[in-house]
Amino acid sequence: MDDKYDLRSLFIGEESFAHETITSLLEGTPLEESSSAIAFGIGTFAIVNIVFLLLFFSQFAILWIERKAVARMNDRRGATTALRSLWVGENGVTAGAWWNMLPFGLGRPVGAVNKWLNNRFGNASEYETVDRVGNRSWMGLSIFPGFFQNVADGMKFLIKEHMVPRRADKLIFEVSPFLIVSTTLLILGMIPLSSGIYATNPDLSILYIIAIFGIAPIGVFFAGWSSNNKYTLIGGIRSAAQLTAYEIPLLLTLLSVAMLTGTFNIIDSVHFQHTAGAWNIFLMPLGGALFLITMIAEVERVPFDMPEAEAELVEGWWTEYGGMRFGMLFMAEYIRTYAACFLFTHFFLGGWHLPFQGIIGSIPYLGDAYLLIPGALVVLIKAWLVFLIVFVWARFSLARIRTDQILEFGWRMLLPLAVLQVILAAVYRLYLFDLDGMADTVYGGTAWDAFGIPFLVPALTTILWLAIFFLLLNDTGKNERAARMYHVQTVQPAGTHTPGQD
Amino acid sequence: MPTHPQAKPNFRNLFWYPFKITLITALRTFPLLGRLFPKRLGMGYHNKSHPEFLDEASEHRAKGRAKYNDISKQEFAPDRVTSDLFPTLWKPQTVQYPYERLEDMEPWLFVPGNYNGRIGIIWETCTACKMCVNICPNDCLHMTTELRVDVLDNAEGEYDGYGAELEVGGYAAKFREEVAEELESFDLITAHTAPPSEWRFAQVLDLSGDTATVRWNDSGQEEVLAQSDLRTADDQIVSGRIDIGRCMFCGLCMEACGFTSFFMTNEYDGMSGFTRQDLWFDANRTRVLPSVHQEAVDGELAKRATKERDKRAKAAAKAAKAAEEGA
Repeated sequence: MDDKYDLRSLFIGEESFAHETITSLLEGTPLEESSSAIAFGIGTFAIVNIVFLLLFFSQFAILWIERKAVARMNDRRGATTALRSLWVGENGVTAGAWWNMLPFGLGRPVGAVNKWLNNRFGNASEYETVDRVGNRSWMGLSIFPGFFQNVADGMKFLIKEHMVPRRADKLIFEVSPFLIVSTTLLILGMIPLSSGIYATNPDLSILYIIAIFGIAPIGVFFAGWSSNNKYTLIGGIRSAAQLTAYEIPLLLTLLSVAMLTGTFNIIDSVHFQHTAGAWNIFLMPLGGALFLITMIAEVERVPFDMPEAEAELVEGWWTEYGGMRFGMLFMAEYIRTYAACFLFTHFFLGGWHLPFQGIIGSIPYLGDAYLLIPGALVVLIKAWLVFLIVFVWARFSLARIRTDQILEFGWRMLLPLAVLQVILAAVYRLYLFDLDGMADTVYGGTAWDAFGIPFLVPALTTILWLAIFFLLLNDTGKNERAARMYHVQTVQPAGTHTPGQD
Repeated sequence: MPTHPQAKPNFRNLFWYPFKITLITALRTFPLLGRLFPKRLGMGYHNKSHPEFLDEASEHRAKGRAKYNDISKQEFAPDRVTSDLFPTLWKPQTVQYPYERLEDMEPWLFVPGNYNGRIGIIWETCTACKMCVNICPNDCLHMTTELRVDVLDNAEGEYDGYGAELEVGGYAAKFREEVAEELESFDLITAHTAPPSEWRFAQVLDLSGDTATVRWNDSGQEEVLAQSDLRTADDQIVSGRIDIGRCMFCGLCMEACGFTSFFMTNEYDGMSGFTRQDLWFDANRTRVLPSVHQEAVDGELAKRATKERDKRAKAAAKAAKAAEEGA
């Protein structure tokens, strides 16, 4: 079902607001002949920028989510730098007389306002601030201070010096961050916020995303190689090995998504989930898990962050980057993570469709209000929740895995499982799918019903995989004792050889 | 227990429990949730009062700051505590090691079995071949003998009575009843000191009938005691000392040992002290292998007792034969 809020139709198309405005403006001018093309150009430019800015700036939310969630897990309050501190100080002193730097004589009035704010709302003593920081009773109440901390971090990166290490391969060193960042930003071009808010929608957008996702690892390897540093080199090589190993299961998982939904187009695959009647996560929980695991590895987050393991490799392949290049690499990593969240939302969580849309939507008044929730907001909230529940939670629960274990896990566990998922997707589509059940209504279709029982296929599939999960949880007896307390592991029995001489 | 019985690297411990504990830790910081599910999440986390928090002087100081930070109106989480040194400084308290240990509080965490930790030695099976001493690159191991009650001399039950006899000029030992309780609760693994001495040693001066005249090694006093109260002791029993301060935990000694008597345990505790002298481990402080140690000692005990029994049976048979021939 299409999202009600069709932002695109305002800018693109013969009847759009942008088209009409521009053609009427250009009437009687020499440009009248090509006014349609100009309107198309301007409209496209506008919608592309709007979508990009929405995606880009909503990224602040995930940085904030991560910081605050982590603070909870560590029993801290997290970043608390408040915008208030720009004008409210202590003992009548503010954070520098920054308004004196303002041009055009703006300093005096702005300074006056600041002084008034400081006198009116400022702290009389620095103890107040100190005690507020240490005050535990705030815990659980104030989570919003710190939202703009990332802006401050970005400012800091911007004003730092850019240094190229001596004897680094300068050209490659300079090019690789741009390779990484630009290809990462290009991912955002294909991600729709809803059926009415997207930049572009080629038929093979899933293929495009796969392709563009695979370019950044080359930049990573370039960066690691060109820095002339052993840490970056090891990080780059680890990254190359890991990304190669995990890209194949990822591609197979996306292939199974494409097979199940019958399309290589992101928007169509979201539509399919609604019109067929069940979100993909209920039809292929294994695929969802595989997608998330491989994506965590692809974006090099804990527990798969060996390429930038701080404990041993300083900062991995980006050790030598400083200033805004470091900031951009950091940002690129978070954009990739964010893109992964969006892709999971679209491929598995039904995109902009609301949960229980048909059932809640049929309630009088309340249902109408429910259906008015903008699809873009639904997508954003789903993506943020995926980030919080999967990426952040995993990051602060699990320990970093050794490189050989990462690779072994990728090749020997995930790859066969991904192949299994492809087979399962084919079986589902061929034998369990009922094309007549497709319906593009508020309720969605009934294509996954079997024997006349609604939702039988997704329900059984979900129950099956949940059962497997609980079996795994209880795979060993809780009270069973270890056979031997101390595992003294030697290849040869002690005393039968001389260590170091055989 | 050095490793918790539940501490196994399975799916539940490696994957699910970390997620679970992280979630609980995060959710309980919300006062509402912490109070709604006190048993599951709260665990006494959100308390209204903490009388033990402040001493009088700090309380006085805190009152002076009430204008900015009125602590009487705040909720305190018990894992934020003050110290005597800085009463007004609250620090996060996670695990009160060494009074609490992570394995006890979060048993799904475990030290790997092949971790080279504190040295554990089964002295009963040691033959003093000195392979470990020779291989040690840092010269931390020192072979000695010590006055001790041998495993066979101290046997009870099935193997009782196969030990050596008390003899004049030899040593005897009497069990110190007053330490029995302390020994029962003494944790060899976490202790930073040697366990209290189990025996009181004495030199045997005279044996007559059921009694023995002994001179206590500690006091030099002479005393007449029933022989049944005494155990035979020996001052030539293999023993050793380890300078754990020099040890680099390479584990070569363990590999060199031909009798499976030398272990690097996965125990990380009990290896610190306030002086270098504290880091000299005598034999008593290396017995940190509870189950393995007991198995090996029992095996050795059975071996020696069987040997002694065979020896006595042979001697008896020989004596009987000689008596027969003599008759």
